[in-house]
Amino acid sequence: MALTPITWVMMLSSIVLLWGIGGWAMYRTLADEDRKVKLIERQGTIDTYSPTALQDLRNWIEANPGDAYHREAVERHDECVEVLRENDESFYDWTDAEIESLEMIGEESTAD
Amino acid sequence: MTEEASTSREEWGTRFGFMMAMIGAMVGAGNIWRMPYTTGMNGGGAFLLAYIILLYLIAIPGLMAETMIGRYTGKGVIGTFKQIFDNRTLRGLGFVVVIVNFALMTYYLPLVGEILYYAIHSLLFTFMDPAFQPEPFWNAFIDSPALTVGTHTVIAIGVAAVLSLGIKDGVERMAKYMIPLMAIALVAVAIRGVTLPGGVEGLAFAFNPDWEYFLRGETWVAALGQALFSTGLGWGVALTFGSYLRKHDDVPLGGALFTAVGNTSIGLLAIFAVFPVVFAFGLEPTAGTSLAFISLVEVFPQMPGGGLWAIVFFLGFFFAAFTSAFALTEPIVTTLDEEFGFSRTQTVVGVVFFIWLLGIPSAISQEFLGTLDYMFGNFGLPIATLAVITLVGWKFQPERGRVLDLNRNADIYIGSWWNPIVRFVIPVVMLFIIAYGAVTSLGSGNETLMFGGLALMAIIVATSLGLAQALNMRTEDERPPVSGGD
Repeated sequence: MALTPITWVMMLSSIVLLWGIGGWAMYRTLADEDRKVKLIERQGTIDTYSPTALQDLRNWIEANPGDAYHREAVERHDECVEVLRENDESFYDWTDAEIESLEMIGEESTAD
Repeated sequence: MTEEASTSREEWGTRFGFMMAMIGAMVGAGNIWRMPYTTGMNGGGAFLLAYIILLYLIAIPGLMAETMIGRYTGKGVIGTFKQIFDNRTLRGLGFVVVIVNFALMTYYLPLVGEILYYAIHSLLFTFMDPAFQPEPFWNAFIDSPALTVGTHTVIAIGVAAVLSLGIKDGVERMAKYMIPLMAIALVAVAIRGVTLPGGVEGLAFAFNPDWEYFLRGETWVAALGQALFSTGLGWGVALTFGSYLRKHDDVPLGGALFTAVGNTSIGLLAIFAVFPVVFAFGLEPTAGTSLAFISLVEVFPQMPGGGLWAIVFFLGFFFAAFTSAFALTEPIVTTLDEEFGFSRTQTVVGVVFFIWLLGIPSAISQEFLGTLDYMFGNFGLPIATLAVITLVGWKFQPERGRVLDLNRNADIYIGSWWNPIVRFVIPVVMLFIIAYGAVTSLGSGNETLMFGGLALMAIIVATSLGLAQALNMRTEDERPPVSGGD
């Protein structure tokens, strides 16, 4: 008995959506792990947020000044900014201009 | 809570080891026989499509939430609930997760013992004996308390041995070898099955989409159940394993997407391994558990090199079940170890001893095992999932979790689309599953069991909240300074 075209489509789609994506996820996360380890060995630290993620964090901090987790969020934000300024190479795709434009929120709070 | 507070905690040795441990926990006996059966019974390709949609839409975001909260607190289940909930009574919801997990293990260990028994007999080539008869063999096994309790005991000792070695040297090391071996075994059986005369008919049964099913509510409920329960969402495993992640580890890609998709990929592999053999030999594809223990052992002698194929199949099956056994016990060990201050070895011995003791009725009686499976599968696990998702979705808040921790060191960026899924969709789906299970049981043979199950879950929730009150659960910061010694 031969498989019908639609059965082939369903079978191959399942393979791509499961084994394909699973294989890609494994390769990508292991490759990122390798890069992280090499950067940490060379620089001691790596940046912890991507440009979009750090912008989200900054927006949240500004929108939630009285939140119980505000201080921790500021610490995490500033830690990332500090690491980006100190390190020659970043893990995420940061441009020099983006890094230069970053400000420490903790310093702002202290100045206020 | 700062990361510095938890730096003395054990951590995963490698990223690969963590991922294999997650897969090892989630891939269990159910993936081998339930996934092919559920797929075939619910419209084949139509079911798979519904399943994959729900996997990406609900299960993966849910796993991200659970792994993230564990990584954030760096604590086990009870410690995490204590840290996030201000209300001391609600902190007891952590006990719900632990109790449900404990109950699950009491009947899962005897089940793994059954698989061990068959794996040993495959090595002894018992199934190849011309006088071998599958049904009397199975009945002789389950009617012998010495054999069922004996294999249950061997598994309990094995679980204790692995867990006593710790996360890195025990759980990670075992999963790192057993999961790839299990996958290779299933690939080998799948290749053999597909190349059998008539084997392709099994693939047609599994993948041919019957679109009528795609529009049926039952198909989507079955797909929801499979997507949520086969990924182990809300059982405390992702939370616990997430708590052992290192500072720079990612959560969304390796801890959630890979786990859910990888787990389902093993289910897909099981479809390729089981259905071609079932159809090539004219077996009943809806036989469920007896498919492995009665039907398949009957066909191995008819296959060229059948003795070796039986060994490959049952060892793969055993590896899948055994890795789940120790990985699912780990959340109980981690959290009790943290909360009560015993050494890890003492905690492992205590936890496994009580699981073994309370598992004896399930080892002796298949009916008792089935009753527990029905009650905890239909009501206990959804309630545990609801507790974990409530913690992240309604207390910690998804947006806060997303910006603060989920996207920290992440290999993929997660947008704000994730928030409503965790806050609204998953809780509604879990409540729906509980209600659907209850309503469809009305008037059926399971009606009494359903009421019993719901009553048992109400008792577990009330006991857990009461326990939190009785123990006056406080975090380190809330505890008064120790007096004396001044």
